[in-house]
Amino acid sequence: MGEIVRYKRDVWGEEVILGVSWDLLYVVFMAIIVLLVAHAIVMAALAKKNLERPTAEGRKVVRHESVDRWFHWLMAASILALIFTGVSPILGLRIAWLDLHWMSGLLLTFLVVAHIIRASFWQDFKSMLLVPKDFGEPFDSSRKPGKYYFEQKGMHWAVTVVTLAVIVTGVLMFMQIDTPFWDRTNSMAEDQLGLVFLLHGLSTLALVALAATHIYFALRPEKIYYTRSMISGWMSEDELAANHDPGQWSPKEAD
Amino acid sequence: MVATSHDVMPDIELYQPADEATALDLAARLGNEGWLLSGGQDTYGWLKDRNKTPSAMIELTQIDAWRGVKEISNGVEIGATTTLTEIANDPLIKSRFGLLAKAASVVASPQIRNVGTLGGNLNQDARCWYYRRGLDCYRAGGNICYADSPEGLNREHALFGASRCVAVSPSDTAPALVALDATMVISSSNGQRTVPAQDYFVGPDRDIVNMTALNEGEILTAVQLPNAWANAEFYWEKVADRNVWDFALVSIAAVFKTSGSTIEDSRVACGAVECVPRRLESVESAIRGQQRSEAVASSAGEMATDGARPLNYNHFKVPLMQNLVKRAIRG
Repeated sequence: MGEIVRYKRDVWGEEVILGVSWDLLYVVFMAIIVLLVAHAIVMAALAKKNLERPTAEGRKVVRHESVDRWFHWLMAASILALIFTGVSPILGLRIAWLDLHWMSGLLLTFLVVAHIIRASFWQDFKSMLLVPKDFGEPFDSSRKPGKYYFEQKGMHWAVTVVTLAVIVTGVLMFMQIDTPFWDRTNSMAEDQLGLVFLLHGLSTLALVALAATHIYFALRPEKIYYTRSMISGWMSEDELAANHDPGQWSPKEAD
Repeated sequence: MVATSHDVMPDIELYQPADEATALDLAARLGNEGWLLSGGQDTYGWLKDRNKTPSAMIELTQIDAWRGVKEISNGVEIGATTTLTEIANDPLIKSRFGLLAKAASVVASPQIRNVGTLGGNLNQDARCWYYRRGLDCYRAGGNICYADSPEGLNREHALFGASRCVAVSPSDTAPALVALDATMVISSSNGQRTVPAQDYFVGPDRDIVNMTALNEGEILTAVQLPNAWANAEFYWEKVADRNVWDFALVSIAAVFKTSGSTIEDSRVACGAVECVPRRLESVESAIRGQQRSEAVASSAGEMATDGARPLNYNHFKVPLMQNLVKRAIRG
């Protein structure tokens, strides 16, 4: 324990980076558990002070189009598959993980590229932008957000940065193994390869933390209707009115 | 760390348990810090070069229960610390499982066979020289394979099943045990478990740093040969650069049940072409019920190398493997 980066000697005897220390996986895991349990306890203590929850009855509005929900769940599945296959050898599981790992990675890369294109041209990209005034939102209970509130935007952009880091470093690593598309060349210098492994490892650790946090908040009872909307696509007008500013987001009525 | 040969053993604890319980307790207590020592032929190089640095050795050769050949209800059991010479010369093995006797008789050299054991031969580590030299390759926990690079010397390396690491299973007895459908007996302080020989060896896709199914604290204590393949028709051949003291470039172990010239059933395994003994199940299926002939043997030989992915310097292994399969089936 205690180290963040692992080093090795390259073929010339020089010390180069080997990758991240996987002891950090356990550190991240424990830290996330502690933080989420602490949050759950605080929320339970404050539960009586909460206002009545909005009802799911009545007219419904569209929160997520079907195609976006598919994107979300396929991305979620590929990220979970990547995490599971990636950490399995670290945990000592003897499974043939590498092929599943790069296949999941390719799927995620395709989905992310498609999502970026769709979000840029066919969706309201501005609704996800995090601007300076958003940072005051958590401290002002009178302010209601547009489609996404501050924490959702923060989670989205954190996942975006980390996922892009995982993808870019993953593609560079992918080029160093034999695949049906090419034979590896081992052309990357060992110090550069080590840096790629380190960045991939660090972004993986961040992704593990973000995925655990995201799943936790998705399952929180007070906001479960956001999760329901990612499954069914709709939220009620009551939920909309209780949490969002119609001036900033006026969704169409659901069928 | 790149090897520096001190040509002397490091300062290391040596345990010499005389009974099973003590050995298993030591293995459990020391875990990966306890190096299992039998004949020592895959030990002293590692330790002298300081490329493996366990804190202790657990010598297993003084445990009588893990040595020798004996009959059991459904076959023969060989203790893991039985030497290769003893196996090669054992009357029971020679009379019923001549394939294993033959395989054991061509391991390395007479001197090595006199001290080298079955367990050691099966559990020996990869013989890739980049790995043995102490380079931090994938198998050593690193992030690169030096053998599979444009300049890498990979004449002896894998045709099949390479997943980052391209080292092959170096054991001569392993393909024979796979062909004979042997069962590996694994003991630990938690009890005993058995694993088919075919599943005992693990490829780099599943575990890139270990070559067997042994977990920390476990010891291979015996190998059981079932009577199902006793006195079958055997074929063994090993091709190496030298006739003694060399590892196989390709080896083949095959067992056949025949009726006249018809092959009723068979098990065929090749060594030194993959990180595990490569069982040729497609070949076995193709020749089942066939009469031995040049055409059947040739066809099976070609089938054997389907899916081979030669490296820069080991293309010769493809026709070599095809010819060995052909010779085995032709008989």
